[in-house]
Amino acid sequence: MPFKESVGVPDLGVGVGLRVPHYREILERQPKIDFFELISENFMGAGGKPRYHLERILESYPVILHGVSLSIGGPTEPDRAYLVKLKELVRKVKPAWVSDHFCWCGAGGAHLHDLLPLPYTEASIRRVARRAAMLQDFLEVPFALENTSSYLTYTASGLTEWQFVSEVVERANIGLMFDVNNVYVSAFNHGFDALEFVRNVPHERIVQIHLAGHTQLENYIIDTHRGQVIDEVLDLYRETIRLSGPVSTLIEWDDEIPTLDILLAEAERARTVRNQGLAERAGKAAPIPAHTPTPAHLEVQSGPWRQGGPRESAGQDL
Amino acid sequence: MTTDLLDQELTELQLWMSALLRRRTSLEKDPLTTREAAAKIGQNPRLSPVEQVEIYREQFWLRHSGSLLEDFPGLSGILGQEDWDQLIQGYLEAVVPTSYTLRDLGEQLPNFIESCGWLPHQALCRDMARLEWAYTDLFDAPDCGELDANKLAGIPPEAWSEAQLVMNPALKLLQVEYPVAALRRNLREAGEDESVPIPEPQPEQLVLYRGTDRGLYYRNVSRGAFALLSAANAGFSVVAAAEQAISEVPEEPIFASLGAWFREWGTLQWIIDVKI
Repeated sequence: MPFKESVGVPDLGVGVGLRVPHYREILERQPKIDFFELISENFMGAGGKPRYHLERILESYPVILHGVSLSIGGPTEPDRAYLVKLKELVRKVKPAWVSDHFCWCGAGGAHLHDLLPLPYTEASIRRVARRAAMLQDFLEVPFALENTSSYLTYTASGLTEWQFVSEVVERANIGLMFDVNNVYVSAFNHGFDALEFVRNVPHERIVQIHLAGHTQLENYIIDTHRGQVIDEVLDLYRETIRLSGPVSTLIEWDDEIPTLDILLAEAERARTVRNQGLAERAGKAAPIPAHTPTPAHLEVQSGPWRQGGPRESAGQDL
Repeated sequence: MTTDLLDQELTELQLWMSALLRRRTSLEKDPLTTREAAAKIGQNPRLSPVEQVEIYREQFWLRHSGSLLEDFPGLSGILGQEDWDQLIQGYLEAVVPTSYTLRDLGEQLPNFIESCGWLPHQALCRDMARLEWAYTDLFDAPDCGELDANKLAGIPPEAWSEAQLVMNPALKLLQVEYPVAALRRNLREAGEDESVPIPEPQPEQLVLYRGTDRGLYYRNVSRGAFALLSAANAGFSVVAAAEQAISEVPEEPIFASLGAWFREWGTLQWIIDVKI
């Protein structure tokens, strides 16, 4: 039986990442949103505003948990205290699945709070697959890993990224969190064919899709989650949906976070493309030609990029 | 699959890179790193191997210094850009971030400031860092129930000699040499070009707490009240805590103040229960 069916992963529709600047408006207006994704680490504290906001959101919306600190490919086993807190959060939120990244976050005791790429090797596959399978058992919910954007490659890599990703999810029997923007960013940065990546991952294991904007610099693209999803990424998304069928899709917007209405309009834009992909899959529509790549508008990177945007913190209080 | 790494080699690669990302200066100026990177990092038509690693190194510094700036707005306000940058660079070099969350990044900053003799207004900075770390800790401290007035009224008078106050977990007691809580507020409220005067020393006993609206607040209390709260927080019975406070601050009418203090502390939810 395909993975998603065997573990009961639902299609939640099109959601958005829950971000601090929108909390108040969401709680007051209760807009129609299919689901929210939260950054797990921002809600692992015992109480206070984060837990209060979490409880209010849970009253009205389905919520998915997405982590950024697991470091599943790091030299040491994932931190036990972190896992206990994550499981406690999972029990509270009851998400349909939990995800993190194909990455490592530090070594030698340091946690660098970044999604560092792994070399695509058998050693990395063994390490990540073993831990991912254990983690899925421990959390008692379907677990998925996300392909990251990367800015370097290793000479040791003997596999393509899609071969690596596919092998891990198959061996660990976990889900794939497929970030289409990350495919685009890494394809540009490393000069591979994004469509080949999209077409060669196990589509029946895709439990969720991420879409986001990015920042084009002179020599590379950064996955800043800033701005609208570009047309070329939406083309890849349509193809992903055509191949995978209906999959929960999420807009991430973490830098220069717009008003809630603009964010929700972006989710509707994604929904339109999703429907096109589903129509193509059902043979009810001819494939839509891909956009011709437009000359890149170069930007200046001025600050840190941070998954999940700003965390809610004491610094916001007087 | 071609040349594969052993698990140990994968670990060594990660240790190498992890150390590079915490370096303070650009990697591109270091010939050894450039050579090592050429062996370990892939070729790219637009970026050299060392330039690829440098992207992550720059982000390490931007991300971590940005996070500390969010959590220590008062401290950065006292220091100004240049001294703040020097302090934070020294801190991030000396103290390895080990927690999974950036929320914990500033935990050692108050202690680190003790070692920074070059820092202008060092004692004031230390007090401000202690205050701001305490706020970070209070921000997501456990929630708790309210003090039950009926339970309180039902406690027989003779039981009070052994009774212990249960304090709110979202409360901290902080003795400072400078009026840093008010200074922090002034710094946060000041306009960008508005200068805030550095205050003279003025010892204060601060109770930092999370209000019922989950906002963070402070109160400056008398030395006697602070001594009593400290003893109660340490697990002394009410009577023992009062005796301790009287011995520490004999000039204050502590017994006469107890009723008013307990009423206020109950209302503010500093006290959440009484254990008999």
